[in-house]
Amino acid sequence: MQEMSLLSDLLEAGYQVSPQAAELITSHNNPSALINHILGSVDDSVFVIDVEDIDFTGFEEVREAEIPCKQEPVVNTTSANPISVLCDITDCSTCVGEYMEFVQYFRNRYSRLSEMIRGRVNARPMESLKGKRRVPGDEISIIGMVSEIKNTSNGHRLVRFEDPTGSFQVLFSMNDKDIYEESNKLVLDDVVGVSGNLTNDGKLLIAKKLVFPDLPNMGLSKNGIQGKALFISDVHIGSNTFLQEQWDDFMTFVTRQSENPELNKIAQQLRYIVVAGDIVDGVGIYPGQENELTIPDIYDQYEEVAHYFNQIPSDITVVIGPGNHDAVRQAEPQPTFPERIRKMFDPRIKFVGNPALVDLDGVLVLMYHGRSIDDFVASIQGISYSEPEKAMLEMVKRRHLSPTYGSRVSIAPEKTDHFVIDHIPDILHCGHVHTVGVKQYRGTLLINSGTWQDQTEFQKRVNVVPEPARVPVVDLATFQPTMLQF
Amino acid sequence: MGDIVVSETMQKYFDLMEGVLHNEIEIANRARSQGKDPKPETEIPLAKDLADRVENLIGVEGVAGRIRELETDLSREEAALALGKDIAAGNVGNFDTKREAIESAIRVAIAMLTEGVVAAPIEGIDRVDLGKNDDGTEYIKIYYAGPIRSAGGTAQALSVLVGDYVRRGIGVDRYKPRKEEVERYVEEILLYRRIATLQYMPSEDEIRLIVDNCPICIDGEPTEQEEVEGYRNLDRIETNRVRGGMALVLAEGLALKAPKVQKHVNKLKIDGWEWLDTFISGGSSDEEDKDEKNKVKPKDKYMRDLIAGRPVFSHPSRPGGFRLRYGRSRNTSFAASGINPAGMVIMDNFIVAGTQLKIERPGKAAGMAPVDSIEGPTVRLYNGDVLRIDDEKTAIELHSQVETIIDIGEILINYGDFLENNHPLIPASYCVEWWAQEFLKKTGQNAPENPNQHEVMDICNRYNLPLHPDYTYIWHDIERDEFLKLAEFIAKNGIKEDQGNRLFLPEGKAKEHGIKTILEKLLVLHRIYDNKIAIENPLPFINCLGLGEDLKKQWEELPCEDILECIIKLSGWTVREKAPMRIGARMGRPEKANRRKMSPAPHVLFPIGESGGNTRMLSSAASYKANNNSKVGEIKIEIGNRICPSCGMETHEFRCECGTHTIPKLFCPRCGRAVNKDICPKCKAATSCVTAHNINFKTVYDRAFERLGERNKLESFKGVKRMMSKHMTPEPLEKGILRAKHDLFTFKDGTVRYDMSDLPLTHIRADELGTTAEKLLEMGYEKDIRGNKLERDDQVVTLNVQDLVVSRGAAEYILQTTKYIDDLLVKYYGLEPYYKAETIEDIIGVMLIGLAPHTSAGVLGRLVGFTKSSVGYAHPFFHAAKRRNCDGDEDCVMLLMDGLINFSHEYLPDKRGGKMDAPLVLTTRIDPSEVDKEAHNIDVCSSYPLEFYETSLNYTNPKELEETMDLVSSRLGTPTQFDGFMFTHDTSDIAAGPVKSAYKTLGSMVEKMDAQLSLAEKIRAVDVADVAERVLISHFLPDLFGNLRAFSRQGTRCVKCGGKFRRAPLTGTCPHCGGRVILTVHEGAVKKYLEVSLKVAKKYNVSSYTQQRIELIGYDIESLFKNDKSKQMGLADYM
Repeated sequence: MQEMSLLSDLLEAGYQVSPQAAELITSHNNPSALINHILGSVDDSVFVIDVEDIDFTGFEEVREAEIPCKQEPVVNTTSANPISVLCDITDCSTCVGEYMEFVQYFRNRYSRLSEMIRGRVNARPMESLKGKRRVPGDEISIIGMVSEIKNTSNGHRLVRFEDPTGSFQVLFSMNDKDIYEESNKLVLDDVVGVSGNLTNDGKLLIAKKLVFPDLPNMGLSKNGIQGKALFISDVHIGSNTFLQEQWDDFMTFVTRQSENPELNKIAQQLRYIVVAGDIVDGVGIYPGQENELTIPDIYDQYEEVAHYFNQIPSDITVVIGPGNHDAVRQAEPQPTFPERIRKMFDPRIKFVGNPALVDLDGVLVLMYHGRSIDDFVASIQGISYSEPEKAMLEMVKRRHLSPTYGSRVSIAPEKTDHFVIDHIPDILHCGHVHTVGVKQYRGTLLINSGTWQDQTEFQKRVNVVPEPARVPVVDLATFQPTMLQF
Repeated sequence: MGDIVVSETMQKYFDLMEGVLHNEIEIANRARSQGKDPKPETEIPLAKDLADRVENLIGVEGVAGRIRELETDLSREEAALALGKDIAAGNVGNFDTKREAIESAIRVAIAMLTEGVVAAPIEGIDRVDLGKNDDGTEYIKIYYAGPIRSAGGTAQALSVLVGDYVRRGIGVDRYKPRKEEVERYVEEILLYRRIATLQYMPSEDEIRLIVDNCPICIDGEPTEQEEVEGYRNLDRIETNRVRGGMALVLAEGLALKAPKVQKHVNKLKIDGWEWLDTFISGGSSDEEDKDEKNKVKPKDKYMRDLIAGRPVFSHPSRPGGFRLRYGRSRNTSFAASGINPAGMVIMDNFIVAGTQLKIERPGKAAGMAPVDSIEGPTVRLYNGDVLRIDDEKTAIELHSQVETIIDIGEILINYGDFLENNHPLIPASYCVEWWAQEFLKKTGQNAPENPNQHEVMDICNRYNLPLHPDYTYIWHDIERDEFLKLAEFIAKNGIKEDQGNRLFLPEGKAKEHGIKTILEKLLVLHRIYDNKIAIENPLPFINCLGLGEDLKKQWEELPCEDILECIIKLSGWTVREKAPMRIGARMGRPEKANRRKMSPAPHVLFPIGESGGNTRMLSSAASYKANNNSKVGEIKIEIGNRICPSCGMETHEFRCECGTHTIPKLFCPRCGRAVNKDICPKCKAATSCVTAHNINFKTVYDRAFERLGERNKLESFKGVKRMMSKHMTPEPLEKGILRAKHDLFTFKDGTVRYDMSDLPLTHIRADELGTTAEKLLEMGYEKDIRGNKLERDDQVVTLNVQDLVVSRGAAEYILQTTKYIDDLLVKYYGLEPYYKAETIEDIIGVMLIGLAPHTSAGVLGRLVGFTKSSVGYAHPFFHAAKRRNCDGDEDCVMLLMDGLINFSHEYLPDKRGGKMDAPLVLTTRIDPSEVDKEAHNIDVCSSYPLEFYETSLNYTNPKELEETMDLVSSRLGTPTQFDGFMFTHDTSDIAAGPVKSAYKTLGSMVEKMDAQLSLAEKIRAVDVADVAERVLISHFLPDLFGNLRAFSRQGTRCVKCGGKFRRAPLTGTCPHCGGRVILTVHEGAVKKYLEVSLKVAKKYNVSSYTQQRIELIGYDIESLFKNDKSKQMGLADYM
């Protein structure tokens, strides 16, 4: 019924609609706008509108403005430490697992990231490069998503780029050291701009310049607020390698009972605690996990966590997002914890999804658990688990939290790409890798907050040495981090 | 070495076989000499012994001669090492470089160690290279590849030793690993273990010890997609991906077979291997098995990785499980075991001849064969009757009335299998054979058959012999108080009738007091009449309970703790244990008998690119039009160019129009020059004869039909998309036409094959094989097993080593193949037909080739009869010659003539493993000394000696009895190595039991699982909740997790051109052809097992941990596939 009424505009205009196209249109979150767009853009020769006839170019931007990630910011103003959630997938997941959703997901990424670059690169659609002979040496620019990276037998790097019109190959020559070094950093599904010269046959672009979206180069002119925020992640309660003693010390500190006056002073100034996932060890995360759990029941694990978090003084606002060990869907973006778990906690504790952009009394914090760090470590030379902030730097440079598809990060094809960093955060907070790292980059503070779990059997095997029980605390006035050790 | 020692009859048999073989080769050569094939002569060289096979396989000249010399006074392993040294030193063969010599030396040594049968020496080693140590010296790197697996642990380990042995001869230093390299091995092997299986997993320190000390660098090709995470980008290790071959050689080779390596190191006095002492003393796993007074503990290893639809028949060592009967039937041994066909039926038809069972002991798995001379299952029917079913007919009748399977019956396992697996003998169940021997020993007379209860008691009293097994109950399964209860109940309520031939008990009361359950545990058979439990022939039973003739209790208190001891005291008789140990089992793989098809299955190896569509139909290619302006049937394909040496014409066919046989036209892909060499002399690049060009396929297609004089009325005629071979030489289309006409498919090498599960067979009867005594006589059989002249169809005769019994399906396929070969001879080659067979009876006696996967040497065989079972029965030596045993393996047969005429190296894929599973050589005569050594451990006596049964009670190591038992190994080198084999238990029909496993007849996985669980509920020895949980954990949950993960990381595919993309293209459509692109993992695949998992978890109340895992994955799936916006509307809005 609903379908018919939606499509009536098209039918009245004299078109037939194929079932697939009908499905695509009705599954869209703004079908009437899409129909108007189709009516305006469809080729006159088309009688039956099929999926291929629906041209999204020119539509994405319109849609962008209409639909933010979260319709209304969720605001918690009752406390002295206000918090509002600006961007979060929770309760907004629209994915049902269809092919067109995957296409839309990547198109959304492309259109938003390419927009950031477009001002710096005079790019043309790839389709327009095909079949035309050009004067050799002609300089051309494109903005593309990396679809393939190969090394030629002579040691050059050959990268295939894609945009919504077609694809094109770009050569990063070994002889041009600078550009070749830069291209070392390219990972699959990055969206970047490339400028260079076409070869004689017009089939290949020899790269001269590579442009990442990157953060604008701003000075440190932040309007800070009073007080401090504390960042933790990867508590892993329930695991037999959870560091109970250190955690108890930490609890003493946040409940302002520490005997150390220095620490107590810091605790008094605490306004926010941000938790970036993996608060429990979970169940069934890896084979044989049952043998490494002290609490084998997932709900008991959360009861235990809640027991701790509920002790935190009520004038500190706590915000918690999930990670890959938590009891939410594995595919990212992850919605927040289910009601059954949230209920165990004090109502003043704020739960968000992963990733989530939150506004802490004017300070923008982007929380992301950090699954993609595994991908960065595996594909970019010089990035290792011991310096997680370097991987986070790569995130902000490409204005995307998790570019590579199909590797270690599972994705849910949502309408918008929640990994794109639209709003530049004051703080980017990750966890996941169990090592600690802090870095300032162009006015954004990058924090990886370590863990409360000792080295696991698995980590021993893959040569990962965790840095447990270290806690970064940030002074919200100066954005200066301090590292506490428990 | 020299000729094989044989009796006169066997000599005649071999001569007969070889006569036919040479005749067929001659015909094949006549056909091929016409030049209509890649080579003008047959391409399968004959090998009469191991030396020949090794030389043919590796292609180093002079090797065969040297092997024959060395083998005169050295063992196989020693000879292999010596030969390796000879080659590396340049005494044998001719090599340009040091590297090549080392490489060949290692390959030849492995070939020798593996009897020249498997593909490991050619495919398992990618190459050998020299590396540089940090001190500037050189070391040897051996690059192992995946197929090294087929060499087995010992040969893998010794290949490293060969490497070390030869490097000394030519002055190369040892490998000095860097610290991070050692750690890389540790990480990589642990990772490999997670993605693939390893028989043995060395500890981390063991790996370090091996790598630190091994003088050769064990390297390898990357075989897996996975990459290591910790120790990446090392200088001297070229890949970050996992090297499977390396992991195998290190773990299953060096670590597992360290004692064997050490033995050779000591013998050869090589230094630098002293670390093996540390390794071996550092904790051998064998020690653990021997602890605690030789007791054998239940093992649940066979229960791991339980799969839905493959039922458990018994939990480890649990009462009600398989009772061990020692012995060998003519269709068991060599890792095949027997059960009663009635048991096959009662256990819901899951087990049939050829089904693989994973078993608790002695080995890991066993092929199953029907043996009806052992006991079947004991069941309780719905009406309360408890009876044992020993024949298939009754089993089929009563199957639907079975409420519980109290005992699943006996399993027949021979002594040789314990010897082969080095498993201590476990106490024998008391059985008739044992009793009969005790009787004979005591009385000097032959034991009476089926004595009645009075005779049995008389024998016990008179000779003080143990109670007859038929009247021995499973006393050791009941508790003391159960015994007390039972004796008291019978004393109080029992009524003897019919002159003591029956004992009646009141049914209601017996049930109330749990007496019926005790009777069931004891396996005391009974029936229910008029609310009474009736036990037949109860006198020995009554006496065992210590009750008098009047059923009065003769005792006050039990004299001792152990029940069996009590019974001995109370009855005054010797009573032995009826089932001291049970053997657990579950279904492994179902049996198989099917035509070999590639997927998609082509009739001919002719490339047609995209023009045939997804179905590769040649008719579509013939009518293909690339666009409106192009000619019909003109297609673009990659094909090998050939040139006529006499007239210079270029073609892809083997014979030029002028009649000359053509040769590949090679050119250099880099400089484009035509060069008739494998390597371009100028650019040093490998040459090729492949070009992509347009051919008018319609003409080729029509002309092929024309030449044959066949009308094109084929329903389906399929080719391939692209040739996989180096020169991309296509097959003549004519062969495909004739194959399609006879509904035959071709394999990658141009042959037609049929796959079957292997089972052993040492004796046959004409009447069970669909043949006659007359026919057997024609085929050279003369006498039956007792030495009488063969004249009746039901006489048992010893099967000749190279004669095969195949399934009916195989016979029909072979019949079709003979028709195809005849057509080919007449219509394509213009020769006389050869087989002229009309029915399957006509093809008895045709020559076949047996060939196992991962091997490259075929074995000559002859068809002797058929069976309705889906198996290939053959002499254990025949299977061993292919390097198979019968634990559920399968391999194929093909027609000899098909191989001779149609096989060509030119068709074999040019990739890793391409040479596996192809008949690169043919073994014409089986020498028992040169088959897989496992076959030497088969016992071939007609009964086991009394000593055997008695020593088995002490968990004796089977090696101690090696001298006493009549084993193949003791007959080697004498004429009896072929003749005079016997068996201990006969079977009346080698094809008894159901024809097809229920696993194959049941439809969906859910149906299979339901059947599996309903069987589990019926069998006393199975814990159904445990089965349910295991299936969830090892099958459904990994499937759910795997698919969910795959969904969110999936690639996409174009429906039109089949192009694959790592992620959805931004254009939405296929970038190559503009076709529609779809997902490769669908919602349905992800959700497939969710519902059934939830249902099963609840019904069988599995652990809460598992329940939570399922629950969480359910939420995960819901979140991924449900739109939050539409969810808010709720279901009610739609209803």
